[in-house]
Amino acid sequence: MCHDERVTEGNAEPLESYVRAALALQGYHFDEAQIAEITVQFSRLEAIAQTVMQWPLPFASEAAPVFRP
Amino acid sequence: MAPAVRLGSGAGVSSVIGSAADIVRQIGTGARSAASVLAETKDLIRARNPDLNCFTATTFERAEREAAAIDALQAQGKPLPPLAGVPYAVKNLFDIEGMVTLAGAKVNASNAPASMDATIVARMQRAGAVLVGALNMEELAYGFTTENPHYGTTRNPHDRARGAGGSSGGSAAAVGAGMLPISLGSDTSGSIRVPASLCGVFGLKPTYGRLPRTGTFPFVNSFDHVGPFGAGVSDLALSYDAMQGPDPQDPACAQRAIEPVGTVLTLPPGIRIGILGGWFHEWAGPAARRAVQLAATALNASEWTEIKGAEAARAAAYIITGAEGGALHRPRLIERYGEFGPASRARLVAGSLIPASWVVQAQRVRQSVYREALELFERYDLLIAAAAPAVAPLVGQETMEINGRSIPAKAGLGVLTQPISCIGLPVCTVPLWPGSNERPPEKRQPEQSLPLGVQLIGAPWREDLCLGAARALEQAGVAKFRLPLAYGNTA
Repeated sequence: MCHDERVTEGNAEPLESYVRAALALQGYHFDEAQIAEITVQFSRLEAIAQTVMQWPLPFASEAAPVFRP
Repeated sequence: MAPAVRLGSGAGVSSVIGSAADIVRQIGTGARSAASVLAETKDLIRARNPDLNCFTATTFERAEREAAAIDALQAQGKPLPPLAGVPYAVKNLFDIEGMVTLAGAKVNASNAPASMDATIVARMQRAGAVLVGALNMEELAYGFTTENPHYGTTRNPHDRARGAGGSSGGSAAAVGAGMLPISLGSDTSGSIRVPASLCGVFGLKPTYGRLPRTGTFPFVNSFDHVGPFGAGVSDLALSYDAMQGPDPQDPACAQRAIEPVGTVLTLPPGIRIGILGGWFHEWAGPAARRAVQLAATALNASEWTEIKGAEAARAAAYIITGAEGGALHRPRLIERYGEFGPASRARLVAGSLIPASWVVQAQRVRQSVYREALELFERYDLLIAAAAPAVAPLVGQETMEINGRSIPAKAGLGVLTQPISCIGLPVCTVPLWPGSNERPPEKRQPEQSLPLGVQLIGAPWREDLCLGAARALEQAGVAKFRLPLAYGNTA
């Protein structure tokens, strides 16, 4: 299924708390309407992240970033 | 820098500028001059761009100089370079010396002009191509519709009520409208393949790391690719060969020797082609399924297969895109939030809040699905899937209905391309016309006259096979460029 519109059930409150804390940590200053908009966007990311976090991987599987010394 | 072109009518211009291969041949024999080709191109741009909004700037003075240099070579009887006199334009995230690189964003408009050309723009110049302008795109390449809040919407040449797709919408629509034989774009999640599909042109997203991105405005370094659009396979191949080669300035660029594909593209006998089912069938609407079937039949492919990790790869791409894109723009989002468009700013900020564990896991998923794909390529040489779930949506359409499920158009148009770019495979997208064989033009519903692309997906570094299959479909008449009805085509 496509998870773009799904919000993980029962996760709204910690999610909003996380967004507020992370915004402060990163140095952003937004009004309540902007925070609400950002929270909606983050909830979409959080929903789609579930597919990534639940994908079975061997413990030692490597990541794939680019770095060529 | 010249402003975007806003004048003229269609009267008195030729219907199409012609293929790059024809232009090179004609200039070589003296049948046309580079200056005359440029003059025709300028007329076409003046006539057609006002309705479509492909160009954000023209570079006609530079083009005059480049065309004159080609004509001087011809007059002196010297050998001509492979793209001699061929007009082209680039998505406005490519550096053009002396111009501000906008990347579709107002927040970039006050940046200093580029001090030199992007590497592949310089390579196109060395190959004799003539740069005529910079092309519209989605703001910061973050979306698939090219409904740009600052520089306007690029419209579809086959139906101006519809969008061109994105993020390289101007690049696809300019070729689709017959203004140019070649343009350049970038593809992070589908931004060459989706607009090529929606505008009815050919597009090549090479293997990740094949073409250098030096001098292009970044979006997601982990996924950013650059590549050409063309009205035919030969033109894609000509420009692709001209742009190949290592570039140590781009850390992701593979330090491989040039592997030219040439213009005599063929498929080796006995090639094994699989049709991608699973995620790729599930998210292909009826027209997309029909396009895949047409391509598969023409290529004698009948075996279905699957990338089981496709959904996970798309999700991984989504997370990495959010995190890298958000981190890239965070300083300016803090200082200049109001200068970003409403459709991108909250998404970018949200992306900058993504925890590291999600990103690391996403990169592990990426590697895992890449390995799954490599195993698949032990059984197949090429894979086929639709390039977009449906034909071009209407401008302003917020959601799309695919097989009974609703998805947001701005992100959902990439549902079939994102898993492939996540794992860096080369893809040639070819234009098919899945509704147009069923009824004559006067009896078609509007969407039945629209193109829809098919992805021809190769193993890493096998662009030759992708282009060979594209050529086979072109020769069979299954994949083809069609001049839009508005510009004189009656097919």
